[in-house]
Amino acid sequence: MENKIQISDLRVHYGDTPALNGISFDVHPNEILSIIGPAQSGKTTLLKVINRTLEFTPDAKVEGTVKLDGVDIETIGDVYGLRRRIGMVLPLPVGLPLSIYDNVAFAPRTAGLRTKSELDEIVERCLQQAALWDEVKDRLDTLGTKLSGGQQQRLTIARALSHQPEVLCLDEFSIAIDPVTTMRIEDVLKTLQKEMTILLVTNLVQQAKRLANRTAFFLNGDLIEIDTTDVIFSDTPANQATYDYINGSFG
Amino acid sequence: MNSMSTRAERRQEFVLHSTSFIIFGIAIIPILNALKKTEATHIQVVSPNALSILLNDLYIVLSVGLLAILLGIVCAFYLEEWLPKTNWGRRWIESHVAILTGIPSVLYGILAISIFLSYAGTLKVIDDVPSAQNTEVIPFQRHTTLFLGEVLIFILMVMPVTIKTTQEALRSVVTPVREAAYALGASQWQVLMRHVVPIAFIRILAGGCRAMARAFATAALLIGTYIWHYTTETDGMSNRFLLFLGAALVLSVCSSTLVEIYNSIYNSNSA
Repeated sequence: MENKIQISDLRVHYGDTPALNGISFDVHPNEILSIIGPAQSGKTTLLKVINRTLEFTPDAKVEGTVKLDGVDIETIGDVYGLRRRIGMVLPLPVGLPLSIYDNVAFAPRTAGLRTKSELDEIVERCLQQAALWDEVKDRLDTLGTKLSGGQQQRLTIARALSHQPEVLCLDEFSIAIDPVTTMRIEDVLKTLQKEMTILLVTNLVQQAKRLANRTAFFLNGDLIEIDTTDVIFSDTPANQATYDYINGSFG
Repeated sequence: MNSMSTRAERRQEFVLHSTSFIIFGIAIIPILNALKKTEATHIQVVSPNALSILLNDLYIVLSVGLLAILLGIVCAFYLEEWLPKTNWGRRWIESHVAILTGIPSVLYGILAISIFLSYAGTLKVIDDVPSAQNTEVIPFQRHTTLFLGEVLIFILMVMPVTIKTTQEALRSVVTPVREAAYALGASQWQVLMRHVVPIAFIRILAGGCRAMARAFATAALLIGTYIWHYTTETDGMSNRFLLFLGAALVLSVCSSTLVEIYNSIYNSNSA
């Protein structure tokens, strides 16, 4: 089985401040890999490297390689195409100042899709997957920014699904969402797993435990441990720091 | 480890600002010189046709103003969207823009007068330009210099304000919006055209209005001073004074209304 993403000796610096100190691991196809760790441990940076949006941070330096389906992402010429292969949900909901419909249809449109019926279909499917359809189906033309925080976050999930990504990166998606809706989206993620690989950065260790096949523990830019979720959450993970973090002894 | 870079940055900033100030200091000398020379100039206003003067003025102000605003907007887009923050040229321009916007607009007026007086001889020429009835013919070269002077003042006055307000408008489109759009696979051009410009447009427009209002107000102020000090024949001039004052008022009202509209659209859901 070939790995979906291969990361080898990835180092990132912001100016003089190191963010990732040479991490290496693989992501298997169709798995949910959760990434846990306290703040400043490089989780978000890792996601930004994968979809190459770190390029917008002026003083960030990236060394090492990230391969998607065996191809080094730095060598991919069509960076916009690459970003459409990777869905990204950011921690704080950012409604693009467009209507709800246009928010979801934005990515397919940038990819060149123009047919109204196809767009309608994509918008409905994505909003349903993000558990938002029932709440907004009657007002698709209102501004996305007028929705409540939790609704906006689900809108960003719908948006990330709209370009049918191969890898879905979720960066603490449940921060602004109530527990019930979170559970609904978690169910959706489990079904989506059949179609795509999911990288889940989360501060809720219980969420990682519920969802993930494997879990990686990051600390201060180092990958401390990566293993199946059962092992990480057992009483005997390979590293004592992992056990302490998960059980609330620090962090 | 960080203090080194900030100290270097501060030093660079200091050098930038001091060069700017020195340049402006040097620029003041010829202005003062020109003003000194004009003490004895005899000024008399001939206003053959008030309407044609007004139209001519409006034509110059609007065309040059629009040109300066467009230039300013293009410049601001280039600075803000394409040049990195650390770029030497960008910081040099920005420090100049800051100084130029900080200068009270009356000083620009004095600069304008000094250019008119030193190159055109008397203020009379301003009113002579559109007149066919007037027998005195202005040499082409003088006319051009005058016009260029007007253009220069306008650009000096309008452009920095436009650059600054446009940059602020572009900055008001927060990074997360851009990042979200980029993460969806949009190109820089698509992000600009579909997200940044639509959001920033109202504020850019408001900035343009503000810049023009500033120019009109200065012109009105100068004309007013001119009427009260130099002339007894006030017909054409007072019309012009009122016109410019009115334009300045209308434009500033437009500008603040646009800002209000912007706020009501984009800041309403902050609670």
